[in-house]
Amino acid sequence: MTETTETVRLQRVPKGPKPQYFADPATDKLLTMVLELIGELSVARDRIDTLERLIEQAGLFTMADVDTYLPDEAVNTQRAERRARMLSRVFRASEKELDTIMDKVAEQEIETALD
Amino acid sequence: MAERIGAHAARPVPLHDEAARQEFVVSLRQYSGRVLGAGNYHVYKARVEPAFTRAKGRGPQSGMELREAMTADPFYQFWSAIHRNSQEMIWDSVIDTVERTLPETVAMAAAPQPLGSLRLDPALPIPRYNSVYDIHLQPGGYHTDQCENDIAAGAIYDLGVPIYSLQRMNSNTNANGVTMVHYFQTRYPQLRPLRILDLGCTTGNTTLPFADAYPDAEIYGVDLGAPCLRYAHARANALGKSVHWSQQNAEALDFPDDHFDIVVSTLLFHETSRTATLNIFSEIARVLRPGGVTAHFDGFHARSSEPIIEFLGLWEVDNNNEKFLLTLKKMDVVGINAQNGLANVRFDQTPYLTGLPQVSAKGKGYMAGGGFGDIDVLVGEKAL
Repeated sequence: MTETTETVRLQRVPKGPKPQYFADPATDKLLTMVLELIGELSVARDRIDTLERLIEQAGLFTMADVDTYLPDEAVNTQRAERRARMLSRVFRASEKELDTIMDKVAEQEIETALD
Repeated sequence: MAERIGAHAARPVPLHDEAARQEFVVSLRQYSGRVLGAGNYHVYKARVEPAFTRAKGRGPQSGMELREAMTADPFYQFWSAIHRNSQEMIWDSVIDTVERTLPETVAMAAAPQPLGSLRLDPALPIPRYNSVYDIHLQPGGYHTDQCENDIAAGAIYDLGVPIYSLQRMNSNTNANGVTMVHYFQTRYPQLRPLRILDLGCTTGNTTLPFADAYPDAEIYGVDLGAPCLRYAHARANALGKSVHWSQQNAEALDFPDDHFDIVVSTLLFHETSRTATLNIFSEIARVLRPGGVTAHFDGFHARSSEPIIEFLGLWEVDNNNEKFLLTLKKMDVVGINAQNGLANVRFDQTPYLTGLPQVSAKGKGYMAGGGFGDIDVLVGEKAL
């Protein structure tokens, strides 16, 4: 069945078996994630580079201004909070594990106190 | 990216981030192929070969014997998984561009194209060796129409092959065609072809150099894939070349006997089954004119008899849906063509012509050695 070209989403997955490279299929998935993430970072870095060059060409500020920029305390605090939220998200599997452990510890303490 | 690979008016132009992603995949494949890939040989020598020899009391006698041991080695495993991912990422990165520009590229290709001609056959059955899985992991393969007047497969190939070949196939990815033209002009300078046929022409990147080299000849391109041929027709017009494209299975051509002075193919046979290869060779012998020459560039035999090199050269069989690469190497293609009545059937050597400098070898094995140097060309003639 054909669609109008305005709505066409092209096939993304090739037909055929995909080899499993590692003993644990989760490892295969993780590797794909890591490679895609490196790609995302690479694209973002290229875009930042383009922005800096265009801004410099437009005479707004220079790349040297970016290199020598030192954020003040307020900016650093905001950034530290953003990083902490990011790390919490990245490590949320570990945070959930920790929550479970701490819940158990709390239960133990309550039981001990009631004895 | 567009400038680096010689854009033409028919090729979709990537936006900033699309191009950045495509360049990333080039970098990843260069790293994976040349830096990490070079380690496979050394890992083999350091631990796989000694373990194999201890276990079997002898060294390996073929590449396939090494398959179990190598795929169990952690270094090779990791490299292989990265390289497989990088191949998938080639297509994924260019499909972004093709998908976004699809309506305008389809409209461009569907507009009147004055140079050459296009004959499609919607009833042509697509053989299993194309349809059952997607060759070199290109989603949809060569043949799937994903909309009316589709060109996506052609555009995806046109944007993807430069990444696959690490931008070493010249502008407009015509290095294979330029190489084959050079072979004919140096080995058969007296040939004045009237009709030339390129089998498995895909986007015409190997076909157009023949139009340049033989301006008095009629040039024909045959392929199974309608979206590739529609794109090829538009691409040829954008580049000012006249070619007659037709959607056919090379196993059963509708051309008459004794019709072509030159029949050429590049990287066709390793993507066809054993039976198809036999049928295609028969058809070539039939349509070739007495006094004509046929030549083919493909992986007809292993580049080295050293088992680990042979093994690494077969990576694409298990990891890139190039199942028939191994089948082809087992066929006596010289004998087959001689039995079909062609004369002087042999392999000749000819330099692979790419405008970029050859990469120096950092190691041995898959992609680590860099440039091709001389390639083997399968050649045959039809006696007068």
